Amino acid sequence: MGLLTILKKMKQKEREMRLLMLGLDNAGKTTILKKFNGEDVSTVSPTLGFNIKTLEHRGYKLNIWDVGGQKSLRSYWRNYFESTDGLIWVVDSADRLRLEDCRQELSSLLLEERLAGATLLVFANKQDLPGALSKDAIREGLALDAIKSHHWCIMGCSAVTGESLLAGVDWLLDDIAARIFTAD
Amino acid sequence: EHDGNSFLVVSVKKMFTYIWQYLYTAFFRFWLKWFIRQVTGKCELQRICQGYNPGATRTMKTEYSLKSSKSQILRNAVNVEEDEVEICVTRIIKEKNIHEQKDPKFKINLQVCLLQISGYQRLCVAVEDLRKQAFDSAVNEHENMLLKFFILFVNNITQSQFINKQWGDIGFQGDDPKTDFRGMGMLGLTNLIFFSENHTEVARQVLSHSNHPKLGYSYAIVGINLTEMAYSLLNSGALKPHFYNVVPGNPQLEHFHRVYCYLVYEFDKFWLKEEPESIMEFNHYREKFHEEVKRLLLEPDVALCLTLETKQ
Repeated sequence: MGLLTILKKMKQKEREMRLLMLGLDNAGKTTILKKFNGEDVSTVSPTLGFNIKTLEHRGYKLNIWDVGGQKSLRSYWRNYFESTDGLIWVVDSADRLRLEDCRQELSSLLLEERLAGATLLVFANKQDLPGALSKDAIREGLALDAIKSHHWCIMGCSAVTGESLLAGVDWLLDDIAARIFTAD
Repeated sequence: EHDGNSFLVVSVKKMFTYIWQYLYTAFFRFWLKWFIRQVTGKCELQRICQGYNPGATRTMKTEYSLKSSKSQILRNAVNVEEDEVEICVTRIIKEKNIHEQKDPKFKINLQVCLLQISGYQRLCVAVEDLRKQAFDSAVNEHENMLLKFFILFVNNITQSQFINKQWGDIGFQGDDPKTDFRGMGMLGLTNLIFFSENHTEVARQVLSHSNHPKLGYSYAIVGINLTEMAYSLLNSGALKPHFYNVVPGNPQLEHFHRVYCYLVYEFDKFWLKEEPESIMEFNHYREKFHEEVKRLLLEPDVALCLTLETKQ
């Protein structure tokens, strides 16, 4: 029995998942985390370093890592890649100016070996804002259709209203579960 | 089985504590007060004002006494408007049958307490109003305030940084500082400016620490995170002892800004002392610092005032 199999068995027993949430600064990562956890989202400040929350959802124990997105912090992202089951990439859909930046950061992430097995969920956040690009425009802007290396899905959402957050996370859990808990 | 027994003991103890607390607040406290009143000839409020020096202990005890009173006049007194404090005190004196001549200082002492107690609520409202005002760089006044903040550090920055508004250099996340103020709004900016204007030298010193190659941090963003800390301490009521000790009357926004200055100055010292591995440890140290401040706020004579260490 290899180490990987043992690890898989242990995970299976605890039904534990590690989710890593990344994206440019001001994308809404912390707000998504807080909203998902039922906390007040009106007073969120920029994240320095990271936040981690462990929560139960549909019988799974989710460890969600929310890492700050400002430029000076992005070089630290790699420290959080290890054993990530799901990557949540959060996009500010109203930030047209930085969409290209956003595409580049995502595409270099997907080259990372340690993220190779992870499922990718893209949240096209801030759909409640009047100037927001649609889910399909973001899909095009980030060239998602070119991704062949990962299972992926894009979901339009609003962290402020909570719209579609659950649907996105549920898709992510189903995809990960199908991969790590039933394979053997 | 042993665990089961100790669990039972704890549960029974808890139950008795609840019953005792209920009986005390519902009956005994009233009779005890009545009895002491007969013996001393003074009501609880008078005893508090005479027995304790002005400050947190006196005002906190007064607040508790008013809130748990059976009289509606006393219970409502904690929410009195600023210009009705005098009338309110007169009503309380009448309600409690207090002889003013026998206790001439009582009136003014209770007035101060009421100003402090109700003033804290008013300060919460004023701070919340400022927080809810979103920063908008399209508004001239806001843009000018931000420039003012920038200019205060002009010694430390080059002309081109200023012209190009390289906000990143003073610790904003990107090209548009607006996004960093999302949660704290104009409260965050007003705090930053107050500190820079009133403690310019200290602020420059803190900014230079924040540019430290190893222990550096994003000055503006840490500042906004500390605004959030001050804001949550205010709203949880944790800052009451501080304000009751420091402001003998109605606290103003300026007093809140001063708490912020204390936090920035002390956090900077704390961060340098702790020597964190990297900025990624920020939340851990922020929480540690937060706990330390909360512990200080439990001391009855607490005063969170920025005091500079004089260099020998």
